[in-house]
Amino acid sequence: MNVVKLDMNEMPYAPPQHVIVAAGKGLSDLNRYADAQGLRQLRELLAEYAGVSEHHVVLSPGSDFLLREIIHAFSRERQVVTVSPSFLPTVQIADRFAPKRLGIRLSPPDFGLDPDLLISALEPLSLVIIDNPNNPTGQILLDRGLVATIAERQETLVVVDEAYFEFSGVTCAQLVTDHPNLCVVRTLDKAFGLAGARVGYAIAGEVFLNALSSFYVSLPQTSLYAATEALQNSGYMRRNVSRIVRERERLWQALRTLGACVYPSNANFLLLKAQVPDMAQRLRELDVWVSDMSNQLPLGYIRVSVGTREENKMFATRYNQVVCGS
Amino acid sequence: MRKVVGLIVNPVAGMGGSVGLKGTDGGMYERALELGATPVTPQRTHQLFDHVSGRDEIRLLVAPGKMGEHYAGGVGLPFSVVGEIGEETSASDTKRLAREMVDHGAELLIFVGGDGTARDICDAVGTEVPVVGVPAGVKIFSAAFALSARAAADMVDAFVGGVDVTEEEVLDIDEDAFRDDRLASKLYGYLLVPEVRKFLQPGKAASNVGRSATETKQAIAAHIIEEMDPEILYLFGPGTTAKAITDQMGLSKTLLGVDAVLAGELVGEDVNEKGILDLFKGCSQRKIVVTPIGGNGFIFGRGSKQFTPEVIRQVGRENIIVVGTRDKVSQLDCLRVDTGDLALDEALSGYVEVTVGYREAMVMEVKYR
Repeated sequence: MNVVKLDMNEMPYAPPQHVIVAAGKGLSDLNRYADAQGLRQLRELLAEYAGVSEHHVVLSPGSDFLLREIIHAFSRERQVVTVSPSFLPTVQIADRFAPKRLGIRLSPPDFGLDPDLLISALEPLSLVIIDNPNNPTGQILLDRGLVATIAERQETLVVVDEAYFEFSGVTCAQLVTDHPNLCVVRTLDKAFGLAGARVGYAIAGEVFLNALSSFYVSLPQTSLYAATEALQNSGYMRRNVSRIVRERERLWQALRTLGACVYPSNANFLLLKAQVPDMAQRLRELDVWVSDMSNQLPLGYIRVSVGTREENKMFATRYNQVVCGS
Repeated sequence: MRKVVGLIVNPVAGMGGSVGLKGTDGGMYERALELGATPVTPQRTHQLFDHVSGRDEIRLLVAPGKMGEHYAGGVGLPFSVVGEIGEETSASDTKRLAREMVDHGAELLIFVGGDGTARDICDAVGTEVPVVGVPAGVKIFSAAFALSARAAADMVDAFVGGVDVTEEEVLDIDEDAFRDDRLASKLYGYLLVPEVRKFLQPGKAASNVGRSATETKQAIAAHIIEEMDPEILYLFGPGTTAKAITDQMGLSKTLLGVDAVLAGELVGEDVNEKGILDLFKGCSQRKIVVTPIGGNGFIFGRGSKQFTPEVIRQVGRENIIVVGTRDKVSQLDCLRVDTGDLALDEALSGYVEVTVGYREAMVMEVKYR
C-alpha cells in the first residue's frame, strides 16, 4: 500500500509541466553557480509579487535558514519572544542560541493571541518571531494594525513568518517600507509546490537588510530556474491554493461529521485533538503519516496536511478506524 | 547477566470502560461483571511482550496466576513465581507482591493496571526501583504510565539498555467524581520511570533540544537560585522541579511537602498552614514556588493543600513563582486553580509566567473553572 503523506504541509499536486521543464534547463548549467543576473531577476519577481521594491528582498535556500540567521544575528542582546506552539525549527533554534526566551501559550478553543498580552510581554530589547498563520493551529495571530503597533517600538525587532500566506491572504509585507525593524519571511515550498527546490525569501526592513548583507546566498540552478518560471506563470499556484482551500473545508466538515475535534484553519493543514493519545503513531501503522504535535501540545494533538481528495478521504477513513477501534 | 524484571497484572483494571463505568474502584468491579465486562489486561500484557526486543537480557519475576503467571508461559522468557494470591485479588495483593519482588531482587517492576494500581505500587516501593506502567485502566491520568503497551515495551528495552530514570507523578483520582464527569485529582506521589521520548514519532524532534528532564530541572533551578533574594522567605511546594532547586542549594526537601527557605537555610520542613503562618510573622516578604501537576495543570488546590487561601492571600499573586519543564508544561492547555475560595481563584486567574528553563519562560493562562 502507498503511504499517504500528510505530515509536512506539502502541496499534494506536482508542479506544472512548464516549471518542470524550467528546472530541467537548470540541469544543463549544473557545472556553474547560479549567475548574479538570474538571482537578481528572481528577487525582482519576488518583489513584484510581494508589492515591495527589489531592494527589500533577500533570498535563502529555505525560509528556516533565514530564521536561523536572524536569531543568530539579533538574539544575543535581546529577549526572543515566540508563541507556543509554533514552527518547531524556530523554537529549536531560539532554544539553542537565544540567551533569554519567552513563549506565549496559545490555548484552545480559539488558540488566539491577546494583543495586549503580547505587547505587555515585550522588553525594550525584544526580538519577536511569530508565524502568521500559526503552525500548527492555522490561526491568524497578527493583523497589519498589530504588527504596525509593535513595530512602532523602534528598539523591538519583529519577524513575521508568512510561510502559509497564500492560503490566508493576510500579509504585512508592505509595512517593511516604513518599518526598518520589520522582516517578513516567506517560502515557495508550500503554495508554489516547490518544497524540493527549497526557495525561501525575506522581505526585510533596513535593520534586517544591514544584518543580512553578509549572508551570502546562492541557489541551486534547478531551484533558481524553477522558482523563476513559477513566479512568471503563477496561475497554477492560485488554482492549487483554491483547490486546497476547498479541500480543507471539505475535510474539516467530514471530520466534524465524524465527531472529531478539529479546529478551523487559514492554512493548508488542520489541527485535531484526538482522544487517542498516540493517534499519529496509530495512523502511521495504517500508512497514513500525520504530524504528532505532542512535543508542543498535549497528547492527542495531530496536524494533518490537506492532501488530494483521495488522500483526505483515506485519512478520514483511517482516523475513524482508529477511533472506533480504540 | 539478565536483568531481573517483576511483572504484576491487575486483572480487573479497565473492565469498567467497555460497559460505561469509569473505573473499578469500590463496588464497581462486580457491577462491571454484571454488565458483561471482559478483562482488558490480557491483551495489554501480550501487546507489551510482543514488542519487547531485549528478550535475551531479561529474567521475569511474576505474580501468581492471573496476576502474572498466566502470561509468563507464552512470552518465552525465563521466569519464576513470587508470592501467593487467593481466588479474588485486591489492592493489598498488588502492594504485597510488589514489595516481595523488590525483596527478591527485581531491578524493574512492570505493572499493568490503572491509576489505582499505580498508587498501590507507589505505596509499596515508592522510588526504590524504576517501574514501567502499562495502561489498562479506564482513563489514565498519572504521568508515570507509558502511552501504550507498545511504548511500555520501548521503556523496558530502554531500561535494559541502561537509560537514566526520572520521577513521574502518580495522581489520586476520585472515581466517584469522575463518574459525574468531574475531574477531581490530586498529587499522590512519584514513581521512577526509564526516561525515554516515548510519545514521539520516530525521528521527530523534541521541543527541548537534547536535554533530559533532569538537565532541564537543573537549568530551572539555576535560574531561580540566581534570582533569589536572601531577605525573602521562599515556600517551595511539592514536586521534583521544586526539589531540584533546593537540591542545588544543598538543602534537603520533602518531595510531597511544603518547605521554607530563608537566606539559603531551610527554616521549615514539611510545614502545614499553621507552620507557614507562624513563619510569616518574622518575614514580611514571601514568595511561593510551585509546579503544576502534570496532566491537569493545577498549581493550587490539588496536591499542595498547605497553600490555603489565607497563605496565598498573605503571599500575594505577584509573588507566586511557577516552574515546570517545557515538556511537562507543553502537555497543558492552561494552568488551573481550585483553592475552594472562589474570589481568590478569580484573583489568581489571568496570565502568569512559568519558568521553563534558564532565563526561559512561557506565558500561560490560569483558569479557575
